[in-house]
Amino acid sequence: MKAEMTPRERVLATLNHQEPDRVPLDLGQAAGDGITTVAYRNLVRYLGLPERQIAVKHTSAQEALVDEDVLRRFRIDFRFVEPGDPDRWTDIPVGDDSYQDEWGVVRTMPPGGYYYDLTGSPMAEDGTMSAIANHRWPDPEDPGRYRGLRERARYLHEETDYSVVANLNCSFFLRCFELRGWSNFYMDLAANTEFAEALMDRYLDIRLRIAELAMEQIGEYIDVVMVTSDDLGMIDRPLISPPMYRELIKPRQKRTFDFFKQRTDAKLLYHNDGAIYPFIPDFIELGVDALNPIQLNAVGMGDTKKLKAEFGDKLTFWGAIDTQHVLPKGSPEEVRAEVKQRIIDLAPGGGYVVCSVHNIQPDVPPENVVAMFDAAYELGRYPITLE
Amino acid sequence: MADYSALKEAVIEGNAAEAKALTQAALDEGAIPQDVLDNALIPAMDVVGEKFSAREFYIPEMLIAARAMQSGLALLKPLLVAAHSKSRGKAVIGTVKGDLHDIGKNLVGMMLQGGGFEIIDLGTDVKPARFVETVKAEKPDLLMMSALLTTTMTSMKDTIAALKEAGLRESVRVGVGGAPVTQRFADEVGADFYAPDATGAVTKAKELVTA
Repeated sequence: MKAEMTPRERVLATLNHQEPDRVPLDLGQAAGDGITTVAYRNLVRYLGLPERQIAVKHTSAQEALVDEDVLRRFRIDFRFVEPGDPDRWTDIPVGDDSYQDEWGVVRTMPPGGYYYDLTGSPMAEDGTMSAIANHRWPDPEDPGRYRGLRERARYLHEETDYSVVANLNCSFFLRCFELRGWSNFYMDLAANTEFAEALMDRYLDIRLRIAELAMEQIGEYIDVVMVTSDDLGMIDRPLISPPMYRELIKPRQKRTFDFFKQRTDAKLLYHNDGAIYPFIPDFIELGVDALNPIQLNAVGMGDTKKLKAEFGDKLTFWGAIDTQHVLPKGSPEEVRAEVKQRIIDLAPGGGYVVCSVHNIQPDVPPENVVAMFDAAYELGRYPITLE
Repeated sequence: MADYSALKEAVIEGNAAEAKALTQAALDEGAIPQDVLDNALIPAMDVVGEKFSAREFYIPEMLIAARAMQSGLALLKPLLVAAHSKSRGKAVIGTVKGDLHDIGKNLVGMMLQGGGFEIIDLGTDVKPARFVETVKAEKPDLLMMSALLTTTMTSMKDTIAALKEAGLRESVRVGVGGAPVTQRFADEVGADFYAPDATGAVTKAKELVTA
């Protein structure tokens, strides 16, 4: 058994495709890797930890900000830093159940629902160039975004030994659907292409400016950048055709990944849901170091042994603990068996970080969350000799 | 029979302006509206459905083709109504209570229209009671429910129970679909049919109304 490494050493080794002492663990420190507020409240109670006010990390997904005591209990190897809220914008409540964000997008939580979904797109009625010019765009220079950023990153880097993740999320594809409406933007991509490209470029200009100003503050202190969470897949196939992806989306992703590669040696993480198997070689070409969440129930993504064999030398897998069946409905023993199987498939040679396939949902029993992280800690020791 | 190949092409390619213009031109030349529907628009949408199944068309191509079809259909509709022509079948569709997702449902609705069905689309977040009221009032052949969330698909069971309670269950065929829905789930909740995608849904729907 190897000597105990620091979290930062452990993560660096695995992202460099070397075997560390054990598989690193993540909970809510990047994107698509967290826990909903309802499940988190249940977990805190189950663990017998003091009641506390639960902060929301991500409003639309109702994702909880995980507290330090829980992160330590589960031996989570990462801590994140991300831009804050702008000074000159507060989300506007719309009726009893909706809010509008700084991009003009309105989201609603239906009665009895667990999170917010898109219900209002500011450019739904206007798919012309003037809509882009006339839209009220957020201000990337707003100082609220950067206040305290450098101090937090420096503190994490110098005063702790955690792996520091910068959440700079430069998604543009999904965000343009939110600005135009789902059906409209799909049709823009096919039949109003000049507009679609101009919209994505304008959006990305703002995102990359925010990233640029953030990187100036924190670049020297970070180990991983969560670059984008642009989903390209649905359950059984990609959202758009591979040729359309390569013509319209990939060049803009290249702009994004090149931006980061020019500024940092930190590893680059890409969150991408759905049946995205056809694009994995493209992501590797773009310089993606780690792919999350590995949505097992999507076509082409379930055979983790095969994915490792095909891509494991170049790609770190970040996720892969089933959230559709095992975590919500399985017993703790079944959760442990799931973790064991994924470690067997994905961990050898390094290049694996354990977390759930997207946020732990409200119906996941807390004993299963505990089973997942405890199993990963116990079973994820290198060299992997599990059967 | 008239040559509708240019109109079919326009629909398949998703050229709405062209589809509208060619439909109008056909009508101006004396084409029978039912004929344009049966021999141009419906076959064009069959091709679109096949291309989706074959992974040649994805959602963008489907949506623009459906839009092109609808722009032609809009010209035919008032004439079809005036001629008292019967649709192939009538379907009530909606996304279930608590669920705001609608692209899949919209695609199914458009493909059914393109298949000659009359559609009543109740939108999203539809409570069981509203599905039941609509079935009672409209007497459709089919009721088709969509859900994207594992937490909302349970409402499908509630709707089927509500139909039974209202004595309407036998009067309509119930179909379910959406990403988390499976054949097994459809069987468990007592649905009559299930399909994994829009093309499959239309195929099943057609089978059921001719059966």
